[in-house]
Amino acid sequence: MNVMWDIIPIGIKINFFYTNKGLDDMVKIGIPRALFYYYYYPLWREFFQNVGMEVILSPETNKEILDNGIKATLSEACLPVKVFFGHVIALADQVDYLFVPRITKVEPKAYICPKFMGLPDMLRARLHNLPHLIDTVVDTSSDGNSTQCWTDCLQEVGSMWTNNKHLVDSSIVAALQEQNRFKQHLLDGILLPDAIEGTVIPEVAAASHPQQTIQIGVLGHPYNLYDPYISMNLFKKLYSLGASVVTPESLAENDIAKKAGMLPKRIFWTLGKRMIGSALNFLENKQLDGLIYLTSFGCGPESLVEELVVRWTKKQDRIPLMMLTIDEHTGEAGIITRLEAFTEMIKRRHKA
Amino acid sequence: MDLYLGIDVGSVSTNLILIDHQGELYLSPLYLRTQGQPIAVLKQGLALLEERLSATDRICGAGTTGSGRSLAGALIGADIVKNEITAHSVAALSQVPQVRTVLEIGGQDSKIIILKSGIVVDFAMNTVCAAGTGSFLDQQANRLNLSIEDFGDIALQSTNPVRIAGRCTVFAESDMIHKQQMGHTLPDIVAGLCEALVRNYLNNIGKGMEIKSPVVFQGGVAANAGICSAFRRALETDIIVPQHFDVMGAYGAAILARDYTIEHGCETQFRGFGVTLLEFQNRSFICKGCPNACEIIEIKQGKEVLARWGDRCGRWTVAESA
Repeated sequence: MNVMWDIIPIGIKINFFYTNKGLDDMVKIGIPRALFYYYYYPLWREFFQNVGMEVILSPETNKEILDNGIKATLSEACLPVKVFFGHVIALADQVDYLFVPRITKVEPKAYICPKFMGLPDMLRARLHNLPHLIDTVVDTSSDGNSTQCWTDCLQEVGSMWTNNKHLVDSSIVAALQEQNRFKQHLLDGILLPDAIEGTVIPEVAAASHPQQTIQIGVLGHPYNLYDPYISMNLFKKLYSLGASVVTPESLAENDIAKKAGMLPKRIFWTLGKRMIGSALNFLENKQLDGLIYLTSFGCGPESLVEELVVRWTKKQDRIPLMMLTIDEHTGEAGIITRLEAFTEMIKRRHKA
Repeated sequence: MDLYLGIDVGSVSTNLILIDHQGELYLSPLYLRTQGQPIAVLKQGLALLEERLSATDRICGAGTTGSGRSLAGALIGADIVKNEITAHSVAALSQVPQVRTVLEIGGQDSKIIILKSGIVVDFAMNTVCAAGTGSFLDQQANRLNLSIEDFGDIALQSTNPVRIAGRCTVFAESDMIHKQQMGHTLPDIVAGLCEALVRNYLNNIGKGMEIKSPVVFQGGVAANAGICSAFRRALETDIIVPQHFDVMGAYGAAILARDYTIEHGCETQFRGFGVTLLEFQNRSFICKGCPNACEIIEIKQGKEVLARWGDRCGRWTVAESA
């Protein structure tokens, strides 16, 4: 990698050199398959492909990625951040740029986790010889919304690239459309890993998840739930134990917001609010036999949100809740025993 | 007689138990130290059982539980391989049908199970830390130069238990030394240690749980009268310790095996006591299929692979992992 990229000042308009290259030699932009990938990948992918870049996605999390991430981070970081570092390392010498937007606020009056806001800084402090980071700020104005803040962000990113305003605008439109397609597929009940690539036909996906004997609501941030390495194949294990799964992704944003609004005090973390809002929706879903909440050890916001979920579930006293806390030392055997015991308990309840 | 075999392969002990059709214990149960060699101990236990059986005795079902349940299940040909929560609650229910709370403290782990009308409604298990478990008591008894068997009775002699920090063994140890130097008596210190363990258990594993009586206390630590009385004081209720408190997991596995074979009307998969004579080769290797580098464990008998597990993707897995 050319070391020159590192000293290009951020925020200054530059015309990049891709126009000098042939078609086979497109500029490569790397997207780590971690954290916000699980929320915004369709939006990002569509945008970058439309403006004429090659999107390189890091491979699925594996032991090497996790080990590299752990080595590169401080011990205080949570597991998802460590995994994120591992993905950045996996991409570093394959791409010309890395897209790590500084996501601060995607809705008014609520914030993204402070660790995630600081991702570009953490990367620069801990890793050397990084490709040039594109760390455009995503910050909603007080009367804005998710569409507005992402439009602003992508406009800025696009203007670094090209003077062709029309191309940038049309790419943003296509990207937002793709993001809506993704969200709609999630609402249709397609699991996130299928929906995110946009390759799945909804009818086929619905048929491939037959109704099982018990139904479990699984709470957790998508970057934990849908990374099979972090979650230790949670969904697959639950299927094989005879449980079908409902996740927060299948809930409408409005329903989540409405329930989260019932709390006596407003939660000002966007992602945490999603968890408590989803939990309160699940508690009203009579189809569900149990709740599992997967959290990562050392998550600041979750230490409070988790407690709220536990209290509300206890108060309602209808379905059992099991907390699963994971970090890099978590053994698979402990998870298997807990999942077995939990599903067994529910099945025996049914029999009685 | 028709018998059902239950085996609990834990990290500290391996227990074997035989029950008859009515769930009555047949012969005395075996309590063996696992000592890191589950296969050897399992074979030893089966050999000991075989010696005691008469010619007319027949094994009609076998079940395994504990952290070595998959391994043991593969070796003996278990009809049912079940997690410890289910096994312990089934066993407690058979002894005390009205039980509402099961406290279980073993060598390396501890759990709490909450039941309502015979159904498990909530449970919790300890995480990686073994602070509130049997090995913590073992260590401290060792340090005080007491045998673990006397530990409980000495605690009962105390009139004024001292307060010892029980959250972490490291703190407990330094706190205990301090209390000794201050001149507290041995019984008061030992009783204080029991109270610290109970406090730790209730604050961590029992956090947020509604503990209602009847309360059944099982697992190896239930032998300790000092801990029992500390639980009694902390929960302000009577604590029932079943007669075979230290083999309840194996007992539950035997009951589950009995119910399973009867319900399904099937012949047992049990491979017979001949397995003690067979040579098993167990080995582990690292899969090179992808960067995950999973550690695969393989159990072979001669050329036949009995079981394999440890892979994330399932390419090596032979036999169900329960």
